[in-house]
Amino acid sequence: MNDNGYLEVHTPVLVDAPAMEEHLEAVGVGERFLHTSPEFAMKRVLCAGLGRIYQITPCFREEEVGVHHSREFTMLEWYRVGAGTAELMDDVELLFGKAAQAVERPPPVFQRRAVQDLMAEAGHIDTGDQEAWFRTWIDKVEPQLTEPTFVHGYPPWQAALSRVRGDTADRFEVYLSGLELGNAFAEEGDPQTLRERFTESAKAREDAGRQPHPVDEALLACTGRMPRAAGIAVGIDRLVMALTGASDIAQVQVR
Amino acid sequence: MGRTYQTSDFRNGLKVEVDGAPYEMVYFQFVKPGKGTAFTRTKLKNMLTGSVLERTYRTGETLPAAEVEDESMQYLYNDGDFYHFMNEETFEQLAIPKEQLEGTSDFLTENLVVDVLFYKGNPTSVTLPNFIESQVTYCEPGVRGNTAQGATKPATLACGATINVPLFINDGEILKVDTRTREYVSRVKS
Repeated sequence: MNDNGYLEVHTPVLVDAPAMEEHLEAVGVGERFLHTSPEFAMKRVLCAGLGRIYQITPCFREEEVGVHHSREFTMLEWYRVGAGTAELMDDVELLFGKAAQAVERPPPVFQRRAVQDLMAEAGHIDTGDQEAWFRTWIDKVEPQLTEPTFVHGYPPWQAALSRVRGDTADRFEVYLSGLELGNAFAEEGDPQTLRERFTESAKAREDAGRQPHPVDEALLACTGRMPRAAGIAVGIDRLVMALTGASDIAQVQVR
Repeated sequence: MGRTYQTSDFRNGLKVEVDGAPYEMVYFQFVKPGKGTAFTRTKLKNMLTGSVLERTYRTGETLPAAEVEDESMQYLYNDGDFYHFMNEETFEQLAIPKEQLEGTSDFLTENLVVDVLFYKGNPTSVTLPNFIESQVTYCEPGVRGNTAQGATKPATLACGATINVPLFINDGEILKVDTRTREYVSRVKS
């Protein structure tokens, strides 16, 4: 990252507003939360004028425990001003190539697959049922993603904080060795659009009987000044799993 | 209403009721797509038929516990149609029809202690010890010095089972057998 002009930053782990996504549950500490990712704070650093930033930080997610999940894990997250998702794919190829080289593995060569095509191949007929969509995804699509793959073009209702262009969200996920390793956005820069999405996911959480997380007003206040940028978060524990063939995240963590 | 299990309770060995039958969980994995709800992928083994079912449950879904229990019992005898077992503490006896013991009945020897599985109060199957010992009642004579790797011959055991054994085994020898794989393990010195 340093060789490619990225500046390392550190943002607080203990935050007031941890995440706005419907299906992310933060670990609470008193009145505050441990961050689920450094996304909001790093965007405020972009608003303050830095152009290429990265950080490696522990992240925490409640209720996520399994062979590919751990309540605490390590994230590498980076942002690039003036770039889109295509440039982030180049960054990923370069970075993963070097990581593979370090453990004497051939550098991964990524194929690009559109979500719409993958779902159609799996025989999915979209009825607007989100649970049905995810069932097809985990039962039929994900098991096929064994080759290094950039999956792009998500439906708008899975945009999170990415911008929507036409009928797809401009974001991608990285798959290596069958593991989802990262998630990238071309960032949405309109504060009003973001506020609407935050309100929607807060409502969805309330409808599901879950407490909505507080809105990050500091982020919304500066988003209007944020330059066009793209950002990505990569799970380091899973990257190590993918490169070493570990089958359980516990094998790559000290517990 | 019996107890139910949440997806966070899922673990191998959990006994649950699915579509009106008892299943044992033999595999579970937490899965969560990038921006989606969490699910738990499972494999469930039917405790009556042994067939395996794959099911995926959304976090928050629940499964009722299967009304099953194991009871340690001693095998007594069979009358051809029924196999008779006894609880060693209460001396209560029960009979299980031969058809329900397919694959296990020919390893039952008198006084063998097994686990009898009850589903909704009815005995449905038995789990044998992993290893049993039984005497060879018939096999072709042993071939001295023949140590060819993997060469086997059938041998009939006192318990009723016929298994493949190495060529050097003779009539009257006592063998240790793995009941899960129906394979010969070793000779037992008498």
